Amino acid sequence: MRRQLFSAYRFAVSFIACLLFCLCVLVPGSGRAERPAGELLLGIEPEHNIFDQVQRYRFLAAYLSDQLGVKVRLTIMSRYGEVIKRFRSRKLDGAFLSAYTAALGIREIGLQPLASPVNLNGESTSQGYIFVRKDSGIKNGSTMRQRSIAFVDPATMEGYLYPLAYLHRQGVTDLDSFFSRQYFTGSHASTVFAVLDGRADVGSAKDTVYNKMVENDPSIGQELLVLGQSAKVPETTLCVRSELPVGLREKLGAVLLRMEKTSRGKRVLRQFEALRFIKTTKSDFYRIEEMVQESMVNKTVHLNEK
Amino acid sequence: MVLVFWLPSAIQAQTRIGVIMTGNVEYYRTMHEAFVAELDKRMPDADQIEIILQRPFPDSIAWSNAARKLIAVDVDLIVAYGAPVTHAVLDEKSKIPVVYAGVYDPENAALSGRNVTGSGFKVPLSSLLRYFKRLKKIDSLCVVFSSLEEDTVRQSNQLVALAGQQGINVTEVDIRRRSDVAQLEDIKDDAVFITGSVFAHLWINDIVSILQKKGDLSGDIFPDSSAAGVLLTLYSPPKAQGRKAAAMAARILHGEQPKDIEAEIFRETELVFNLVEAKRMGIKVPVQLIVEATRVIK
Repeated sequence: MRRQLFSAYRFAVSFIACLLFCLCVLVPGSGRAERPAGELLLGIEPEHNIFDQVQRYRFLAAYLSDQLGVKVRLTIMSRYGEVIKRFRSRKLDGAFLSAYTAALGIREIGLQPLASPVNLNGESTSQGYIFVRKDSGIKNGSTMRQRSIAFVDPATMEGYLYPLAYLHRQGVTDLDSFFSRQYFTGSHASTVFAVLDGRADVGSAKDTVYNKMVENDPSIGQELLVLGQSAKVPETTLCVRSELPVGLREKLGAVLLRMEKTSRGKRVLRQFEALRFIKTTKSDFYRIEEMVQESMVNKTVHLNEK
Repeated sequence: MVLVFWLPSAIQAQTRIGVIMTGNVEYYRTMHEAFVAELDKRMPDADQIEIILQRPFPDSIAWSNAARKLIAVDVDLIVAYGAPVTHAVLDEKSKIPVVYAGVYDPENAALSGRNVTGSGFKVPLSSLLRYFKRLKKIDSLCVVFSSLEEDTVRQSNQLVALAGQQGINVTEVDIRRRSDVAQLEDIKDDAVFITGSVFAHLWINDIVSILQKKGDLSGDIFPDSSAAGVLLTLYSPPKAQGRKAAAMAARILHGEQPKDIEAEIFRETELVFNLVEAKRMGIKVPVQLIVEATRVIK
């Protein structure tokens, strides 16, 4: 119970931080159902360092506004899964989505994937890691019995769907009785820290976040052991609602794919910390569907939980 | 030395448990309270159990004397809190079963024997170092330990190795008596790590007071129960270890052999961040560090 309170506290802190951004910094009035004509509202799923994230996306939004001739505004969701809700209430035109949310959106509300950024390491994809402390004695699923596990968020592939599929393959179907405790940390980095500190025995998180943390502090890599890796899927994808005018949708996609070919586009890409954008299609998310089947997760349940 | 009789009906006691808890450290007191409460639940005839609690001053001779007295009284079971006390009991080579608790990294504490089992804890010391580095640049680290306590020597050695890998200079301050605390006044380090030393925690208020005056970051692997003002604490909750010791004690009193009861290591930790202290020191605290904490002192 105490842990749940701590977890709730963390979510509360994250929520308040995000809310302040949404209300005060980014787009005052973005919650209105009606928006001015000629405006494009794009959502962002929160990352660990929300302040750096907002800064990066602001450069991109300004560039898109100029290129498209419409004002592009940004809004940050309070939690990963809220994006779907916002699309359903028609308060979003598009969003930069992580793989699982994008797959849910494509399947449940017909979102159209347009493009994915390629990061500075040349990667446009990410994968889930399951990891433990090297000194934990945990080697596989069976040795996780009656230990604790930290997930990221129910709407993440790397931080929830993949570990469920991994555990299912290892014969674990009832998490409640198998683990002594399970909880959501709210971010990939927090999950890594939870396992490092011993606040959880097992964790799952996105490889790009994990690897960046190890790069910044090699001692992290020396202390943790990666037990499993998921298939690679697009890390972040700009998806738009299907009702968006075809002309605007195509122009948006074309502007993103052309960015690397112009000097200003290159400059904005550097500020956005990407090399280029590449085209993304629905087929890029088939692996997510397979994981859903494997983990026996009922996606509708997750959508309703948000 | 203090001798305390616990639980009613001690006169008619049929079973006697000897407990040794060195010093007057809150961490072990909390552990012992949980032990007594849990034992009461697990033993239907708890009122027939006499608990003889000894709290010797932290000193190797006093620890040995406490162990010898319990052996002389011929208790049915000895419970030892912390590595130094456990070592002192095992050195007496008695046949009385021993249950230890609150031992840091027991796998490396050489606590083997047919008559011994127990539980300990492991706190990733690297995590505290990592959190220090998120607060400020750390070029030098001071480690407070006691050469009289083998487990704190191991903790210090681990930190020296960790810091060495990261190019951080380390100063070790050995606390064997109260006057040793004054050494900290002359140390010029960016952060101070306090090991799970009974000596250090006997005089934790003196230690923290010096660090506060100097503006040094402080971290501890015992909870700051006396609200001395430690900035960061990452510790293994003591109650769980006390309850586990009681469960093991109950099994032994019911006839099981200690060698048949698997020792256990608690790895779960709690991270407490003292925001009041951080503000007093003028430290700009990253929001994410607060988010990581299981508890924030405001």
